[in-house]
Amino acid sequence: MLSTILRRVGISLATIFGASVFAFILLRVVPGDPARAIAGDMATEDAVAALRADMGLDQNLFVQYWRYMRAVFTGDLGFSYSTGGTVNSLLGDRLPATIELGVLAVIFAIGTAVLFASLAVYSNSRWADRLLRTASSLAMGSPPFWIALLALMVFAVQFGVFPGPEGRLSPGLVPPADITGLYSVDALLAGNIPLMFNALWHLVLPAAIISIGPFAFLSRLYRSQLRSTRRETFVMVARSHGLTKFPVFNRHIAPHGLLSILPAGSLLFADLLTGSLLVEKVFGWPGIGSMTADAIIQKDFAVVQAVLLLAAVLYVVVSLLADVILTTVDPRTRVGAR
Amino acid sequence: MPVNTEVQRAGQEQSTATPVLEINNLCTNFELPGSTVQAVRDVSFTLCPGQRLAVVGESGSGKSAMAMSLVGLIPPPGKVASGSVKLRGKELVGLGDKEISAIRGKDIGLVFQDPMAGLDPLKTIGSQFVETIRVHQNLSVRQAKELACELLAEVGVNDPRRRIEDYPHQYSGGMRQRVLIAMAIANDPAVVIADEPTTALDVTTQAQVLELLERICDERGNALMMITHNLGIVRQLCDSVNVMYAGRVVEQTSVNALFNEPTHPYTKALLDCMIDPYTTVRGQLPAIPGSPPDLAAAQPGCAFAERCPLGSAEKICHEQRPEAVVLASGAVSRCHFAHELEGAQS
Amino acid sequence: MSTEDLLVIENLNKSYSTGFGGRNKTQILHDVSLSVGRGQTLGLVGESGSGKSTTASCVMGLTAVDSGSIRFDGREITGLSKSERRALRSSMQMVFQDPNGSLDPRFTVRELVEEPLIIHGHKDRSERALKVAKTLDLVGLTEKQAERYPHAFSGGQRQRIAIARALVLNPQLVVLDEPVSALDVSIQAQVLNLLAQLQDELSLTYLFIVHDLAVAKLMSHQIAVMHRGKVVEYGTSQEVFEQTSHPYTKALLDAVPGTKQGVGHA
Repeated sequence: MLSTILRRVGISLATIFGASVFAFILLRVVPGDPARAIAGDMATEDAVAALRADMGLDQNLFVQYWRYMRAVFTGDLGFSYSTGGTVNSLLGDRLPATIELGVLAVIFAIGTAVLFASLAVYSNSRWADRLLRTASSLAMGSPPFWIALLALMVFAVQFGVFPGPEGRLSPGLVPPADITGLYSVDALLAGNIPLMFNALWHLVLPAAIISIGPFAFLSRLYRSQLRSTRRETFVMVARSHGLTKFPVFNRHIAPHGLLSILPAGSLLFADLLTGSLLVEKVFGWPGIGSMTADAIIQKDFAVVQAVLLLAAVLYVVVSLLADVILTTVDPRTRVGAR
Repeated sequence: MPVNTEVQRAGQEQSTATPVLEINNLCTNFELPGSTVQAVRDVSFTLCPGQRLAVVGESGSGKSAMAMSLVGLIPPPGKVASGSVKLRGKELVGLGDKEISAIRGKDIGLVFQDPMAGLDPLKTIGSQFVETIRVHQNLSVRQAKELACELLAEVGVNDPRRRIEDYPHQYSGGMRQRVLIAMAIANDPAVVIADEPTTALDVTTQAQVLELLERICDERGNALMMITHNLGIVRQLCDSVNVMYAGRVVEQTSVNALFNEPTHPYTKALLDCMIDPYTTVRGQLPAIPGSPPDLAAAQPGCAFAERCPLGSAEKICHEQRPEAVVLASGAVSRCHFAHELEGAQS
Repeated sequence: MSTEDLLVIENLNKSYSTGFGGRNKTQILHDVSLSVGRGQTLGLVGESGSGKSTTASCVMGLTAVDSGSIRFDGREITGLSKSERRALRSSMQMVFQDPNGSLDPRFTVRELVEEPLIIHGHKDRSERALKVAKTLDLVGLTEKQAERYPHAFSGGQRQRIAIARALVLNPQLVVLDEPVSALDVSIQAQVLNLLAQLQDELSLTYLFIVHDLAVAKLMSHQIAVMHRGKVVEYGTSQEVFEQTSHPYTKALLDAVPGTKQGVGHA
């Protein structure tokens, strides 16, 4: 058991290290000169060279990497040239917006996947099952930014039931006092119910669109798990003891399904926390995704690196956490079980 | 199909007692795309209190499908196509999920083949046991747990108060089967159906589980329907027997008569296939040639005719389905030559 | 031990590490010593976890041994390199309980039986065809059946195909791992008769793993009863049955259902 944990931690560290090296090298081999980009087209060659030296870009890659990692370990993610602030403060601004969106999207995805897959399997109707599979195929196949545009056109422009691409709150509204950074929660904490609803109103459409892909994936996974669990002998045994269909589904089939979507669901969560580049961009959402999209265009090394590193750390931490939860929930793997 | 209750009961010893379970002309089909597999064909028999009936047959003979049909647990696309199953006079075929569930586990208890997969791995033995009891009995969780501990002790689980908090993976296969037996009898059913309960177990464990089943039936007086392919188990545990082949009951008789004077060629061949460690000669083990018929195809004659040492040459066997014949011994045989077979042995 | 023994196992030990950091060792095999004479059958009897399958797996080189020796045809075969092992494979073959695992549903029976020849580098196409035809005939499969796919066959027929796959390479030793326990009684009899007939015709040597004592008695010249990794009873099948010495063997014999009321029947 101990060796298993040590190995897991080792693999996790290696993953993060690999991601950091990858991000570092990738951004330095792509064409374009960040020093030139910052200094502007009008700057003299000397001024650009001086800036390059100042940024450390004249050093060899190994030294640059070493400096970067040393800084990261002291909690300094670097300076964003395109916005003129530290990456730390930039992430501090943007992360809550993405977390708020990501959490809601995950809730949507898991909620709808579990609900519809359960209905399809429980009802045992061929028609419902086919509908679910068609829906998930369509959802898997359609590009989210395209759906985002379409949704904006239909729901914001045509019918006006949801706000347009105006960010987290309606224009003119003042964000609530910063406690968690999540506007809906902060508004609730401040007792400002209309503001909370305004924040939620802005969240629903982008969250729903982001959740489409994960819904497709999770509903298929959950459906197949339910169907295979339903054929297990213990389900037959429970029925033979006189349990009716619903209690058997509820107490003996569904828990196994949920257990199986826990790891997949948590990785999707980690994925969503680094933001959806295009959907955030379309909705003008001031989160990590749109920030990353801008940073890539601007060739703002520090920001892209930080996001990639964040993504790697999130993946590793969340999957580790999911494993811990899984082994705790499943009595067969629970530590201390005889 | 003529319903002849006299024929049905003739093969059984307790023909005078009121049957607890009465099965008439039961047919179960599996509707597959393009074909219909007739798994159970026109099966009729009765089960009386205290009776220990063995249902013997090879895989695909329909013995499990028949048992599952009795309690409405035939998995789709299987379906009881016709016939009747009466529990103390109450018709079970066609009942809704709620009504048949009230009977499952209460009046009819079931024990299955694979004890390793028979318990939900995510729930403690206790919670599953309490659930089983509380479906049918109006007891508090505490009272149900108390009863569960008593039953576990009865089936030979040591220290049930501690063991009831354990999860299934902490039990061995034999122990799990004991637990499942305890659960099956928790609500004092009048009928226990055991479907190959020891096939997945080692020989020594199997012996213990069989002993347990025997003791429980002795003490509780419930009827037992033992589904098995193992004739040794039949001899040890049962008093009467239904031999099934290709979905039909081909012979109904007492266990003594089964071993001493089989009245159907299939039964006889099956007995011959049993290895006697003292007399069977290596390489000369009697075998039944061929393999069982396709249950999706129509059979005008006797299903065993192709493989039968008597019938393969007889025209009638291939053309006409044999009706049930009641023999002097009380045995019922579905063979055109049942009388000749009986005569040959005495 | 006579020089006529094809397979000689001496003091075989095998353990697995379990528990925290592999600190607990579970001894799977404990000083197992057995031998099988040429053209004979050794029945290896025991319950699950007795070590009988591990013994077979050590013989086949699928499991590394901790200590002890396995000699095949006079030659030590523990610790062979991969290529040496490969060369040996054609003279040692295995048949499993469930034939479905080894029968790829996309191949016809003929292709399935030919496959081992191709793997072992038999290049001559017509020679291969001849061998396949001969082997199919041996196990009682017709030319017509050879063109069908395995799913068209019943369990007993599939086991014939698996046996043909094992025999096509002309092995000296065949390890039979519960070859009939998944089959119905009537079909079991057909396969057991076939195995006996093949042994006589081809002078095969069998290591027959089985949990059913009656089958072991019927098929084996010698029987070894294993219990918790040890050989607890070892002798000719007559001796094991009639002069049972170990209490575990007695328990096994008593446990066979239906034997309490005497064995003889019509």
